Amino acid sequence: MLWLYLHFPHMLLDHLRRHRQSSRPLAILSGQDPRVAQACPEARALGITAGMRLKTALALAPNLDVIQTQPGQDTQVLEAQARWLYRCAAHIALRPPDGLLAEVASLQRLYGGLPGVWQTVAQALETHQLTASMALGHTPEAARLLARADQGECTADTARIRHRVTGLPLSQAGFDRTTTERLQRLGLTRLGEVLALPPAELARRLSPDALSHLQKIQGTRPDPVQPWHPPHVFRQEVDFLQDIEQSQGLLFPLQRVLSELEEELRWRQQDTDSLHLSLRHRQGDDSRIHLRTAGPEHRAEAFLNLARLHLERHPLSAPVTGLRVCVRRFLARDASRGQDLFGKHSHPEEAWHTLASRLQARLGASALQRLVPRADHRPERAWAAAGALGEPHQQRPVPVLPGHRPLWLLASPYPLGEAPAAWLSGPERIRSGWWDGQPVQRDYYVVQLADGPLAWVFRDLRNDWFIHGWFG
Amino acid sequence: MPGYAELFCVSNFTFLTGASHPHELAERAAALGYHALAITDACSVAGIPRAWAALKAQPVKLITGSWFQLSDAPAGEARPSFVLLARTRKGYGQLCRLITTGRRRADKGQYQLHGHDLDSHCLDDCLCLWQPPPLAGSDAQQALACGEWLQQRFHHRFWIAASRPLEADEEQRLARIRWLADQLRCPIVATGEVHMHSRERQPLQDVLTALRHRCTLDQASPHLFPNGERYLRPLPVLQRLFPEPWLRETLRIAEACTFEPGALRYEYPADLVPANETPTDHLRRRVREGERRRYPEGTPERVRDQIRKELALIEELKYEHYFLTIHDIVRFARGQGILCQGRGSAANSVVCYCLGMTEVNPAKVELLFERFISRDRNEPPDIDVDFEHERREDVIQYIYRRYTRERAALAATVIRYRPRSAIRDVGRALGFDPALVEQLLEAIDWRDRDTDWRQQILDKGLTRNPRIADRFFNLVNTLLGFPRHLSQHVGGFVISAGPLAELVPVENAAMADRTVIQWDKDDLKSLGLMKVDVLALGMLSALRKALALIGEARGTPFTLQDIPPEDPDTYAMLCRGDSIGVFQVESRAQINMLPRLRPTTWYDLVIQVAIVRPGPIQGDMVHPYLRRRHGQEPVAYPNDAIRQVLERTLGVPIFQEQAIKLAMVAAGFSAGEADQLRRAMAAWKAHGDLTPFRDKLIAGMLERGHDPEFAERLYQQICGFGGYGFPESHAASFALLVYASAWIKRHYPAMFYCALLNSQPMGFYSPSQLVQDARRHGVTVRPADVNHSQWQHTLEGPEHHLRLGLRLIRGLPAASAERIHRHRPRRGYRDTRELRRLARLSQRDMECLAGANAMPGFTRNRHQAYWELLDHEVPAALFAEAGETERPEPPCEQLPEPSEGQDILADYHSQGLSLRRHPLALLREQGCLRHCLTAEQLTTAHPGRPVQVAGLVTGRQRPSSAAGVTFVTLEDETGNVNVVVWLATARHQRKPLLTARLLHVQGVVEREGEVVHVMAGKLTDLSHLIETLPVRSRDFH
Repeated sequence: MLWLYLHFPHMLLDHLRRHRQSSRPLAILSGQDPRVAQACPEARALGITAGMRLKTALALAPNLDVIQTQPGQDTQVLEAQARWLYRCAAHIALRPPDGLLAEVASLQRLYGGLPGVWQTVAQALETHQLTASMALGHTPEAARLLARADQGECTADTARIRHRVTGLPLSQAGFDRTTTERLQRLGLTRLGEVLALPPAELARRLSPDALSHLQKIQGTRPDPVQPWHPPHVFRQEVDFLQDIEQSQGLLFPLQRVLSELEEELRWRQQDTDSLHLSLRHRQGDDSRIHLRTAGPEHRAEAFLNLARLHLERHPLSAPVTGLRVCVRRFLARDASRGQDLFGKHSHPEEAWHTLASRLQARLGASALQRLVPRADHRPERAWAAAGALGEPHQQRPVPVLPGHRPLWLLASPYPLGEAPAAWLSGPERIRSGWWDGQPVQRDYYVVQLADGPLAWVFRDLRNDWFIHGWFG
Repeated sequence: MPGYAELFCVSNFTFLTGASHPHELAERAAALGYHALAITDACSVAGIPRAWAALKAQPVKLITGSWFQLSDAPAGEARPSFVLLARTRKGYGQLCRLITTGRRRADKGQYQLHGHDLDSHCLDDCLCLWQPPPLAGSDAQQALACGEWLQQRFHHRFWIAASRPLEADEEQRLARIRWLADQLRCPIVATGEVHMHSRERQPLQDVLTALRHRCTLDQASPHLFPNGERYLRPLPVLQRLFPEPWLRETLRIAEACTFEPGALRYEYPADLVPANETPTDHLRRRVREGERRRYPEGTPERVRDQIRKELALIEELKYEHYFLTIHDIVRFARGQGILCQGRGSAANSVVCYCLGMTEVNPAKVELLFERFISRDRNEPPDIDVDFEHERREDVIQYIYRRYTRERAALAATVIRYRPRSAIRDVGRALGFDPALVEQLLEAIDWRDRDTDWRQQILDKGLTRNPRIADRFFNLVNTLLGFPRHLSQHVGGFVISAGPLAELVPVENAAMADRTVIQWDKDDLKSLGLMKVDVLALGMLSALRKALALIGEARGTPFTLQDIPPEDPDTYAMLCRGDSIGVFQVESRAQINMLPRLRPTTWYDLVIQVAIVRPGPIQGDMVHPYLRRRHGQEPVAYPNDAIRQVLERTLGVPIFQEQAIKLAMVAAGFSAGEADQLRRAMAAWKAHGDLTPFRDKLIAGMLERGHDPEFAERLYQQICGFGGYGFPESHAASFALLVYASAWIKRHYPAMFYCALLNSQPMGFYSPSQLVQDARRHGVTVRPADVNHSQWQHTLEGPEHHLRLGLRLIRGLPAASAERIHRHRPRRGYRDTRELRRLARLSQRDMECLAGANAMPGFTRNRHQAYWELLDHEVPAALFAEAGETERPEPPCEQLPEPSEGQDILADYHSQGLSLRRHPLALLREQGCLRHCLTAEQLTTAHPGRPVQVAGLVTGRQRPSSAAGVTFVTLEDETGNVNVVVWLATARHQRKPLLTARLLHVQGVVEREGEVVHVMAGKLTDLSHLIETLPVRSRDFH
């Protein structure tokens, strides 16, 4: 067996930097008391290192860009890398948080020898603009240690690999902290010195875990590898370092994602006709866009055109901080279109989606909406129109604030022309929303107008009266 | 209009809820013409003293109350929510008891009260205003059940509180209230449920609410009030909103509440005075006893006069118990052999000298006694007593024992919003990106006096929208100074005659077994209550230990009083700047000042202690003083009054007292006004406005014939103090300890360092630095060794060699070290197994000892020692009996011998210091530091000459008094090098400046007298040399 290990020293950083133009130093933070998790080469040149406190990092580089990681983000990004590696090698495994393992002995014939394998993977890394150190080893653990220490080379020569492994300093030998400290206290500095100690004597002095680690490096203890297979969903996210305000700006990152989709589809030998695009904003809900192609499609260009058309027609509602492309529907290349539409096998939800998207396509997306409540004291903001294609189960329950509200709330209040015949209740004073630039300061009353209807009226700061709604 | 009393009003002492200070509420209530105002914070009376202080001069009556929400529902499903008001002093006591119960039961900052607490507490002198549950929360029957339950506990002292926040469904709510009143046959009273003094505070109240619920304003809507109606409304508005009987009811209740916080009289514990004596007689007798001790040859007439004056004043102000209480505590400490010393204005009296609270001999410092106790200020006297830091707990436990926990508790410290926390919290509520806010905070230079932090934030690009920026700063500004939580005061005890919980509620502090009262020191002051400050001082511990060692060496006990006064050798040492370890004057700035000031008397030390402070430095007092002291500048006084104040400091104000006194004699301030100035100065940094005082000061001085230039300079000097001036009364006491510690360092260095090391952590220097200094002073230091060391550091033999103790070994518990010492055979331990068995040491203990190389008698080196004891195949117990015949394990030949470098680093790693060669000596020998001068060579280098130096970075400081300058201290094998880095240099070389552990500096020598600096040019990080020295060095400090 021969194993190839890919170690991504700053995977998240690569992921983020791919979509950015600025060359300012960048660091990724983690934890409550933020510490630097990864730093880009520019930042490292200024002395910023992993584990450093934000305070120190900023003292070193006052114009540092920082990004806080989201929980689970690294797993997602790692899986995205696994997806393309899977296309090169059949037997791969994840080594979270930042490593991938592939069995390569069986690939040598396919790629015309070990250098071919090495080149192929190196090329793929370059295409994806990823920094990774690669290493080969006869055990997964040996490959991992060499990759992490950036000591890998393209050779299957046992003696050479062994030489490299034994030369590893203790701090890079993969022991837990206590064991490393113990071995250091014995005056040992390299892994080879540990391996040279009398084995029985050594075994009596090491924890079972440390011992098993040593044996796994040498291959004297089995180290089973759980193979990984890609899920049947395509999901790709992009986080922007700076908010994007023009839809034009979305096309570049979108194109990259769509190319990856194309690559995925081509490899799967499948098509799709349905693409979910979400745009993330700093505040409020995501903008969800559902793109449907005229027929099964796999070309990035076709998807991009569709997206461009949509974005041209619908200006952005707010600056975008990130986007996600998601494809759940895969069609076999030879399946004829529409075969499953409204067929008896189709899911009711799917049928509804198809209907809604057809209506939307015919009437325009904004013509079809759904009402949802919002917790806000301002009446016009106490409800919201959500896209008809939103996923209801993703909504959090919203507390409904008390108050007698009219069934028909006017889109915009209009002046009250007459004195009411009767004042039924009030005032209800609403003074809220100063924080988002749409403050409301009104006194509301329920009144009966001369000709009978019950109206919801208010008086504003300037003492003008308006009708804001009608009760049934 | 019948008038109005607001009976339900929370201040910002209901943390993250109330949006106005108590004094703002009080002032607004007065301006609106309210009849009375109740402050009813949630299970707290913490806001009362501040409201009381603001209302003292107003016709508005202050009512003391508190708002409660029970944690359970004793009847039905609704949890009762109600306000209790104290009717009389007795009712106030009952209220405090209930609050104490609720607070003591919960974690710090929370409270928890149950239905049964209302039954187990007597509340018959409190009035209850019930806040019925909201409509949405419960139906009418549920609400009625809740009301009935509560009414049964208060009978005719029960009202339903009706409020008009103008919210949705208000008609139905009022109808419900009327129906409940009808069912319960009880009156309804109008209340405002006030959360802020003015509607303008609604945004801040919303922000606080969002913070309380840990969300942003966007997410907070379900928790926010729909409007800002919970404010103190003008009377006409109230009249429109409430029926007249409900308003009249407020007055009836206010009438019934006669308790006023001013009625709280502190009853000092009478325990200390025998039954047949008056407090005055008793104090007089104690002082006479002291006189005989202090003046065995008879009290001089002048002193006797002074005592008479002081005692008369104490009697007049009824402070006898205060002095007797402190005397008692001090006497306890003395009895236990705990060193202590008082300081503060009142401490510098002959009475205190005779009572043994202070050692400052009045014969030496006449001038200090002018400011004994101020009759005009009507403030309790102020005495801080310092105790040995390791034994202060004994004193605290004595106080608890003597007065019980019922009667003694620590004062609180109100932790308030400061710019950093306010910016962070407002930013969080407004939904700013937290990483961005943190970034801004880190980037703000708080010491940059030229650019306001607000401008800095704008410059750094928080927001481009001026409206948002405006709102942000307004909110931050208003939030500044808001209380966040109560913490414990460093040592201020309140002791009472009766149960303390009836005087002020007691709550839990964060520290286990500590309780604090709900008031801080200013509150106590404004209510005229006294506290006793029991503080901890590390130097006193060190002094006591050093005195004991000296006594041992001399064969007779040796006390502070045995130290000969004004010893020239001691002053000569200080003048050289040789003061590492000496109390107060060991910092780098002090060390640099010593050779310039050249102290030769005790009073010079008083000045030395006070002059190296931000106040005198920023007020530019230092240079004029030094010039005059060395006769390079004439000393002149505008008039005799000023001469009186400034003569002892050569015409330059150095002490806080002088700044105050100057305002009085030069500008005609009254004592009261001068005291206001002092407070304004202390608060200057936070609130930043001395302008009203400026006009008055300058006008006053011009009026008295001073020229405008002098007036302006004096004003600037007073401003410079800005709260950072050091009082002479404290400096005087400190100077005694400076002298005592310096004398011991000069004459008994081994004892000095041994005592200092045994009192760690304290002072400026690490054990490593102290040990190096000790060796430079000729003390022989021996390593920690299981066959010679105890837990503490000890002195060995007639030469007084300093034997390091096992306490230096990181991770080794004191108990294990004690066992090693106690069970050591006369011939010493012979191998690791014997050691492990006899001293019953754990594997971890043994590893610590091996790492520290503390078994040199029977192990070849630390590697082998470690190898030997890592072998856990042999259960120690099995061989317990056979221990003597056990054959030693053969050494492992494959293990490397430790190199010198490895040993040095392992020493640092395990003990924080090494007695081997300094790492720099090793590097120098290896040729890594060519062209670098040592610290020693630098002392003879010519000023202005370019040099290179290198050393371990032991200190980086950016003092606020030196704009933009960073001081770096480098340590090499011969001593310390002082490096000065100017701002521009620092900006360009942040990386080496901030991260290097071993730093190389190219610079220029500067010399002022004996003080030598290197002005840094290029900085180079050489930390990698430590790593290559031998192996790892991640933990090298």
